[in-house]
Amino acid sequence: MRVGEEWQRLSPLALVFLILSGLQRQVRENLFLFAGAGAGAAFTDWLGLRELLLIGLALVLFSVLGAIIYHRRFRFRLEDDALRVRRGLIEHKELRLRFARVQNIQLAQPFYFRPFGLVRFSLQTPGAADKEVELPGIGRELAETMRDRISAARMAPAALVSETVMEAGPDSSEPDLELFAPGPGRLLLHGLSSNQVWVIAGVFFYLLGNFGERFGERLERAAEEALDKGLALDPSGAGWLLVAGAVLGFVLLLFALSGLLALVRFWRFRLRRRDDRLVMVAGLFDRREQTVRDGKITGLTLRQSVVGRLLGCWSLVLRQARSGDHEVGGRGNAVEVPGLSRSDLALADKLVPGAGLPACFEGISPYFRRYAFSRLLLGLLVSLVVFGMLFGFDHWSVLVVACAAALALPAIHLRFRHWGWALCGQVLWLRRGWLGQRIDGFDLARVQQARVTSSPYLRRHQLVGLELLPPQGSVRLPFVAEAVAARLANLALAVAEQARDHRV
Amino acid sequence: MEQMPGFTNRSIDPAELPDYRAVPLHQVAPNFGPYAVLVAVLTWLVLALAVLVAPRLPFVDVSLPATSALLPLAAALWFGAVAWLDARRRGWALREHDLIYRSGLIWQKTAILPFARIQHVETAAGPLERIFGLMRVKCFTAGGMGADLSVEGLDREAARKIRQHLLEQIRDPAEAMADGRGEAGE
Repeated sequence: MRVGEEWQRLSPLALVFLILSGLQRQVRENLFLFAGAGAGAAFTDWLGLRELLLIGLALVLFSVLGAIIYHRRFRFRLEDDALRVRRGLIEHKELRLRFARVQNIQLAQPFYFRPFGLVRFSLQTPGAADKEVELPGIGRELAETMRDRISAARMAPAALVSETVMEAGPDSSEPDLELFAPGPGRLLLHGLSSNQVWVIAGVFFYLLGNFGERFGERLERAAEEALDKGLALDPSGAGWLLVAGAVLGFVLLLFALSGLLALVRFWRFRLRRRDDRLVMVAGLFDRREQTVRDGKITGLTLRQSVVGRLLGCWSLVLRQARSGDHEVGGRGNAVEVPGLSRSDLALADKLVPGAGLPACFEGISPYFRRYAFSRLLLGLLVSLVVFGMLFGFDHWSVLVVACAAALALPAIHLRFRHWGWALCGQVLWLRRGWLGQRIDGFDLARVQQARVTSSPYLRRHQLVGLELLPPQGSVRLPFVAEAVAARLANLALAVAEQARDHRV
Repeated sequence: MEQMPGFTNRSIDPAELPDYRAVPLHQVAPNFGPYAVLVAVLTWLVLALAVLVAPRLPFVDVSLPATSALLPLAAALWFGAVAWLDARRRGWALREHDLIYRSGLIWQKTAILPFARIQHVETAAGPLERIFGLMRVKCFTAGGMGADLSVEGLDREAARKIRQHLLEQIRDPAEAMADGRGEAGE
């Protein structure tokens, strides 16, 4: 009998992880509810601190108990071509996951597992939004055996076609080839330029708003008292400076926090190639190793935020069937390569063969700009008239409309400038963006459906909108000449129909 | 991508590729026109009725002039007309390797779905559709909800034939094997 073929249980230490993640989940699910509904404030008024503590304790006890039962019931077994898991608190579930379906294999090691040589083992499939199977707290050796067996099993269907793959096998493999290893500086830049800054700011202001309501009165009173005592600052000079300084400090703090988070999350990031797989290792406190098979990568996305543009920092996302796109929460599921510089973009070619980033993109029709601006202007005028009829005309509303139009013009122009496409062999690249940019690239053989849409305006100018649907989600190209769209659609269909082996 | 024995990579001339625009489309069933008009008109008539009835309800505190029901009535007329014209130009076609479906009057849409990408096929008919003898063919792909295609306005005979044809197309031996391997059991 091979390793892992009898029913196995999780290590006792897995309990720690289960309890921690259970608590974390409860806090995450209830925090916003608590703060958002204002229930938090009401509770603190109703109940004393002791009652609150008791409730908290009960919650902790509850999740500890749940974790213990879950842990006791949990069993898993490795079969020839599948992993079988039995779990469940109240209702018992048994899941059998075929290796062929597995997209990602992840081995993560939180810092408290490290001294004991345990890891968290998880598998992702295209169907599930999150991890389909998670084994928290199994020995590293067992996890690595399982990883290798799953990877090897996934090679089997290909081996039917070519025997050479079979002969090569996972054991006689070449040593790992390091593809990308950004230094701490690049990771910090990635943190500064990632959109996480805005997420942190959003959460901060959300909480601030909730607490502000509660403490606003007290603050006002304090300010009044200060005024009475003549302590208030002169609002014309130093006061404004102070406010500006505080805002600047706050923004800097946000960026620093975001940079630090990225450093922790992607600490010592390494991207390696192992046979037909890509392996990513990263993380300071929770060291994760992700294994993705080449065949399960359906496309690439290159992203650059506004700040990233200033800092010259890109990030690359390996797209898979139905994998979430913006996973900023740090769940560790997104297969993201952080901190690329302009010269690192050649990496795309190594990840998906033939996917070299094109030097230039073909733009869309300038009618896009004209259409967007004229419709926006029309909308503004209509709203001006309606608003005027309801509340009376004045100079201010005209000024506001004029300002909005003046701001919209460059914005629409930027948007127009960014739309573009380029075809490199079978790989289609589509670029879009406004201040930042995003470039999607995928093999036309992956296309699941092509859609061509048109409106009366588009038809008048022999234009159409083209929508192609690779497994990771649709990509659109608006305002292209009908002949160009037809050429791209025909090519995509011809390529996709000849490449029948690409199933996801 | 795996290298395959006998794998070739000849360059493709885009002008030589079969053009989806050149394919003559079959019109949808003649009953689809009346059906589409009925659905459009009924939806708006319900709204018009609600506008008329709502102020007379004892527990609702709104007063709407009876003329305001004209708005949904006008919408019913407009959308009924659009639905009629749309049904006249709606069409579908089967090629050797894909299914083409064109719909829409003002915003026109042509969708082309390769057979190789279909995961399963289903026919469906609502109660109103059954009265008119219509049926829909739904094709599900791996790309999720957004990538599914529903061909509306077929008569039962055509719908069944299309489904049968699609099932045969996606059931070729190599594919069936790949499918069996690709399924997550239980």
